[in-house]
Amino acid sequence: MNYKILHRTTYKYKYPVSLGNHVACLTPRPSLVHQAARSELIIHPEPATRTERIDYFGNILCFFTIQEAHKELEVEARSEVTVQRNAVSLKPQSIAWEEAVRLLPTDQSRAGLEAYQFQFESPRIRIRPEFAAYALRSFTPGRPLTEALIDLNTRIYKDFRFDSKATTVRTPTEDAFRKRRGVCQDFAHIEIACLRSLNLAARYVSGYLRTYPPPGRPRLIGADASHAWLSAYCPGYGWLDLDPTNNLVPSDGHVTLAWGRDYSDVSPLRGLILGGGAHRLRVSVDMEPLED
Amino acid sequence: MTLDLYQTALRYGAAYDELSADGVNPRPHWAHLMESLRTMGPEELGRRWSRAERRIRENGITYNIYSDPLGANRPWKTDLVPLLLPANEWRFIEAGIIQRAQLLSLLLKDIYGPQNLIANGNIPAPLLYANPAFLRPLVGVQVPDYSYLHMLAVDLARSPDGKWWVLADRTQAPSGSGYALENRTIVSDVLPDSFRDSNVLRLAPFFRAQRDALINLAQCDNPRVVLLTPGPLNETYFEHSYLSRYLGFTLVEGTDLTVRNRCVYLKTVDGLEQIDVILRRVDDSFCDPLELRGDSLLGVPGLVEAIVAGNIKIANALGSGVIETAAVMPFLPGLCRHLLGETLKLPSVATWWCGQEDALDWVLNHLDSVVVKPAFPARGMEPVFGVELAQAEKHKFAEQLRARPYEFVAQEQISLSTAPVWESGHLKSRGVVLRTYVLNTGSGFVAIPGGLVRVSDAEGSVVSMQRGGHSKDAWVLWDSPVDTFSMLHPRNEPVELRRVSRVVQSSVADNVFWLGRYVERAENIARILRAVIPRIRRADDADHGCLLRLHGCLETRHSKFPKAKDAKPNSAELEIEMISLLIDSKRPDSLASTLKEISRIGGHVRDRLSGDMMSLIGKLRDCIQPDERVELLESPAILTACLEMLSAFSGMERENINRGSGWLFMSLGRRLERAIYLSRQLREITTPLSARDWSLLECLLEVADSSMTYRTRYYTTLQPLAVLDVLMADETNPRALAFQLNHLVDLYEKLPRYLADDLQAMKEAQSTLRNFDLRTLSYPLPGATATDSDSDGLARLERFLRELERLLPSWSNDLSSRYFSHARTFPISIGQ
Repeated sequence: MNYKILHRTTYKYKYPVSLGNHVACLTPRPSLVHQAARSELIIHPEPATRTERIDYFGNILCFFTIQEAHKELEVEARSEVTVQRNAVSLKPQSIAWEEAVRLLPTDQSRAGLEAYQFQFESPRIRIRPEFAAYALRSFTPGRPLTEALIDLNTRIYKDFRFDSKATTVRTPTEDAFRKRRGVCQDFAHIEIACLRSLNLAARYVSGYLRTYPPPGRPRLIGADASHAWLSAYCPGYGWLDLDPTNNLVPSDGHVTLAWGRDYSDVSPLRGLILGGGAHRLRVSVDMEPLED
Repeated sequence: MTLDLYQTALRYGAAYDELSADGVNPRPHWAHLMESLRTMGPEELGRRWSRAERRIRENGITYNIYSDPLGANRPWKTDLVPLLLPANEWRFIEAGIIQRAQLLSLLLKDIYGPQNLIANGNIPAPLLYANPAFLRPLVGVQVPDYSYLHMLAVDLARSPDGKWWVLADRTQAPSGSGYALENRTIVSDVLPDSFRDSNVLRLAPFFRAQRDALINLAQCDNPRVVLLTPGPLNETYFEHSYLSRYLGFTLVEGTDLTVRNRCVYLKTVDGLEQIDVILRRVDDSFCDPLELRGDSLLGVPGLVEAIVAGNIKIANALGSGVIETAAVMPFLPGLCRHLLGETLKLPSVATWWCGQEDALDWVLNHLDSVVVKPAFPARGMEPVFGVELAQAEKHKFAEQLRARPYEFVAQEQISLSTAPVWESGHLKSRGVVLRTYVLNTGSGFVAIPGGLVRVSDAEGSVVSMQRGGHSKDAWVLWDSPVDTFSMLHPRNEPVELRRVSRVVQSSVADNVFWLGRYVERAENIARILRAVIPRIRRADDADHGCLLRLHGCLETRHSKFPKAKDAKPNSAELEIEMISLLIDSKRPDSLASTLKEISRIGGHVRDRLSGDMMSLIGKLRDCIQPDERVELLESPAILTACLEMLSAFSGMERENINRGSGWLFMSLGRRLERAIYLSRQLREITTPLSARDWSLLECLLEVADSSMTYRTRYYTTLQPLAVLDVLMADETNPRALAFQLNHLVDLYEKLPRYLADDLQAMKEAQSTLRNFDLRTLSYPLPGATATDSDSDGLARLERFLRELERLLPSWSNDLSSRYFSHARTFPISIGQ
């Protein structure tokens, strides 16, 4: 499946900003399942410096500095992406989840070590007994790992309410968990926290999700949003993507931008500014499916 | 010889005593020092020691204690008796710590490079993956190898059998070398003969090596090196300021620096100056809020980008904190064989990282004999002494350990060796830990001969400066002639003569500017208080009105007057208000608050002020005690004392500070402030005075300290125009408005990059004032009939003063945005 994606972020400041140091994580990383045919970042005002760097997790970051006084910052990411996920084969005979917990620390292979790092606490995700207790109802003794993962994913979908007013981008995972509410970012954080509290490895994925207009209506431009889900490590199989917000295993409708330990590793656009005062933020995403 | 100076029983047997093996005879290397202490006698030692303690207080040598609200600026506690180390013993220690520095450097290089040691299982992966001090953005970033551990500190203790053990490694921003230097200065001064005769290895070559290593790190000509401090609230701020001065590097805080074009710049009054090397005392995760901790206010946004670009070098390199944990200790013997092909020379105290199953089992079975610490110090857990836990707590704690074993490390406790300490006239014995330092200079490793000895408090075996313990000097007694190089008087190198003062960073200019303004403001408040307070009780109705007008000149927004608008405050109310203006530190416009502000700002620029000035600032802060009930009658004496100190301060400002940019800004602050309140006070006269207001003239002259000038010219006849001439137009009177404007123009013109518009406006004000001919002005005198000469002259004067009152603060604001722009502004984080 091919998409043309337009992701525009605008900051409007009350007072001029004299200096802004920013980092954007808005370029889709290449992976086995998708390739970015074209991707560009258009920034206004023109940055004095701008460099690209591959981060520790393999994501593509863009660092830029704006040194002229400005009251508005606009960053527009334009990408064309091909997604080709194989139909996920969820071997029902996959290993028991306890076996995965046992294998993880002993696997010294590249892929094993790469996965192991996602088993620990990270800036936004703590390991807590309450997360483990919640997860254990899906992770019954001896249950195959993939089956337990999908069950947990479904339970979070059912037990938690999607509510964009209940949390903000800074809400701690524990709070969203207690409230049983939140947005995709919270859903992903909660499921990751559950898995890590059982000593399983899981990472946070930032990206986009294709939306469908109501039957008979045209597609609304700019009405899409950036999305987040997670990926869990299954020894012997690899990484399994899970989207608790929509109770599904992502396929061709999900486009991956980046992954990390949690949101703080892959926030789409952040920065430190001098001056500015109060600011307003506007984000619009448009994901247009292209004919082959 | 007997050790008759020892007064208390020593606990021989349990611990190794540095001084004596049997409690009777000193070890050979102590004999000389003990003999000279004995000869000197307790009285002479006491005398010398109180002299040294006075110097510590006056020089403002401090160690702040975080958790103690009164702890800021606590005097440094050091000891008269140094710890003595013989040459052969030092050679052993030196070789051990240098090997350790080599080993840890290689370990860091691998962690931030290929990570082979993880892949091969030489160190367990969770030591990185679970470690908040592992800074992923720095992995794969090229930095000079020797910058990973530019300096390493190793804490050493001696066990009862006389062996040295490593208690801890400080790998990211080790503190204390500056205090070691200060201890050496103090102790060698108290015991000059012993120091000279004992052939003590000097510290200066170590610091010379450090300075050279940092300069070399820049890999460019004439590099600029700065010392980055978290600021005056940090517990070792004194050391930062002391070391920066000693090494000759500028002391900066995060907000002094900015990253542009992938380079790091220092904000100075001359503009931005590029920085090549940062010696940091800020913990690494706080150094860049863009890529590391987003909540940090101590760092520089974009610093990591500048490192990646190769445009700045940091010592120690960011990320070196990852191995500042006892959790790596169990793996060092193996790593040493693997990386250096040697056995580890200095053993670490027995340590178990609970992330290994066997180690966890052992620790759970021997909880009573170990102390358990967080494997990752950033977690901020207090050490747990197993033996102090009740049975139930033990079970709970064991559960915690089992849940996340990799988060914990356990260590055996060793009983520290003891050394003599001079305390209230006697020698007593206390546990000691030696913190010693190694540099990786790029062309070799250099150890400090000795280091900082930390002394346990009375009974405990825990050594912690944070808990209020104190310190000692350490003397390495060499067996061949020593290098007596001194950093202060280089012998062999010709000195390059320099007249240009150090660069003045914007934040310093900002602070000294406000120091000037506040000192002047304090003087004005004190003078008005001293003029008003003694007059309140004997004032008649007319005089009372004048006192209220004088009070009005302070333009206070926090007065204690009753809110009712119809009635004028009576004398009792005025009295309460004036006392409140004197002592109430809760209102920002009081004298007490202003003096406190002077002390706060002074603390920020203490490395720019002389010791005498800092001591004066301390006295000023303390001269008004807010909690005491100040009687009205006592206050003139307090105010006079305060004014004398303020005069001493301005004397030092005039006579003891180089005329560099720093001084320019301080003087500008003073002139602006004085001009602002003078214009306000003069307007009291330009509004025609009635006969009832005549005593105001006397008060205004007194406030401006110009009564004498007036009397020598006009005897006792008080006339408004004559007062205006003295206080406004007389360019020879340093208290007159004209004098302030002349100086403003002179000072402002000397500033780099001054604003032409403001200079023009200042010159216009100056000439307007000059062109006022007071002789042609008609002042309506009470009782006299109005004349028809220049009748609107007074109104024009009034308008001029009002305009000046508007202009002066706007010049001050322009100075701020031109020279101090964002100097104290923290960047705001968005999108995190």
